[in-house]
Amino acid sequence: MKMKLLSLLITATLAQYATAEIPRTASGKPNFNGNYDTATLTPHQRPKAFGNNLYMSREEADKVVAAENEAQAAGEKELDPNREAPPEGGDGNYALGAGGVGGYNTFWIARGDTSLEIDGKFRTSILYQPENGRYPKMLPAAGARMMKKYASFSKGNPGYAWWLEEEGPSPYDGPESRTLSDRCLQGFGSTGGPPMMPTLYNNFKRVVQSEDHVMILVEMVHDVRTIRLDSKHVSEDIRLWMGDSIGHWEGDTLVVDTTNFTDNPGNGRATRDLHVVERFTMQDETTLHYQFTAEDPNTWAEPWSGEYTWPKSPDPVYEYACHEGNYAMGSILRGARLLESEYKPKEK
Amino acid sequence: MNKTYTLIAAALLAAVYYSSQVWAHHAFSAEFDPNRPLVLKGPVTRVEWVNPHAWIHLEHTNENGEKEQWMVEGGTPNTLLRRGVNKNTVKPGTYIIVDGYQSKDRSQRANGRNITLADGKKLFMGSSGTGAPEDGAGPR
Repeated sequence: MKMKLLSLLITATLAQYATAEIPRTASGKPNFNGNYDTATLTPHQRPKAFGNNLYMSREEADKVVAAENEAQAAGEKELDPNREAPPEGGDGNYALGAGGVGGYNTFWIARGDTSLEIDGKFRTSILYQPENGRYPKMLPAAGARMMKKYASFSKGNPGYAWWLEEEGPSPYDGPESRTLSDRCLQGFGSTGGPPMMPTLYNNFKRVVQSEDHVMILVEMVHDVRTIRLDSKHVSEDIRLWMGDSIGHWEGDTLVVDTTNFTDNPGNGRATRDLHVVERFTMQDETTLHYQFTAEDPNTWAEPWSGEYTWPKSPDPVYEYACHEGNYAMGSILRGARLLESEYKPKEK
Repeated sequence: MNKTYTLIAAALLAAVYYSSQVWAHHAFSAEFDPNRPLVLKGPVTRVEWVNPHAWIHLEHTNENGEKEQWMVEGGTPNTLLRRGVNKNTVKPGTYIIVDGYQSKDRSQRANGRNITLADGKKLFMGSSGTGAPEDGAGPR
């Protein structure tokens, strides 16, 4: 029942946008052309403390911003110039992709500076369905698949060739054993999606629209989505990194349907059977409202939905020539070969 | 796999799958060796303002007084560009201190876990002596 009310609320909200002044193309269609900064401090999933509450107060929203500012300030604090090397065996930091060796300073990070506000109300999460604002529980087979797929993250970083102690291919065998973001093939964190989610940095998008296509350039890894309007999906044999997207207009809303993913969609949990429906609506001259529903019978027992706003930005979308500077890949693979050559089987 | 790593695995899975907003381009754990911590000190020789991650080169003098050419990995330069910081902000010759871990391939590469100036201020956040513009002092 609550879900129904929520749907009604969202429909009512969108209807209200229809009457607002929005930019239009020569043919009268809503005009999405422009650059957007999609960063928000509101998390994808709702912190459990908020329970089923989709909204938070301005005070709570301010606290989220203050916490981020504090984290940034802490990261910018000066250090002892005579500091010693970090501890041998790792520094114990496994957050932020740090893998026990640390990541990099916070000045490289840009997660946004505001909490998500829709219709004057602050949101506790981007996800609103399921009702608790959290991804549905993964099916057991999906959990096992994840452990395998991300073995190089999940096995920790002991500093020796642990993979030689296990059967089967390792995450270090070659470039193709690495994740798509390691390989500069796709941005991480589902930044290009679909669904397109805000991530650690480079949350800019550029939309270029014509009468029969809408192109979305994602800053991270130059992910480009080309949405064909009033078209049909390609044959199911054809599989694409970001799926095959077709769109049509429902009033002033662009509805985009995406199927035909590979085994590695932007959403790291999903499979080739992921199906995403997105709804793009200009809610005023400078704000795009982005809503999505995703489902994948191999991963979740139920669909999940979310929404957030994309404010237009005067800033350019910068180049992200990932392959050209991806020295990390060479270091990872050469390092793995070196550790393998030094590996000594454990005494039984 | 011992218990510690099992716990770490659980925490990592939570990080990977449930808070993508705090994930990074690649696995630092795959690239850097936790058993080779280090401190590097010396003048910047070159800045590679490249994606996915910028690299800052420096000339480190080792315990034997020999000069070594090192490079340390940072983050995406795009973020800093938006803060008014560019590849010329850090001039060659700027003395920096880096603590981090060496690359697993044992080349003279390390992660820029912490990069500071000689006085301990964070690189790009330091005084005008670095050439960092005022608007580079913090997030907008």
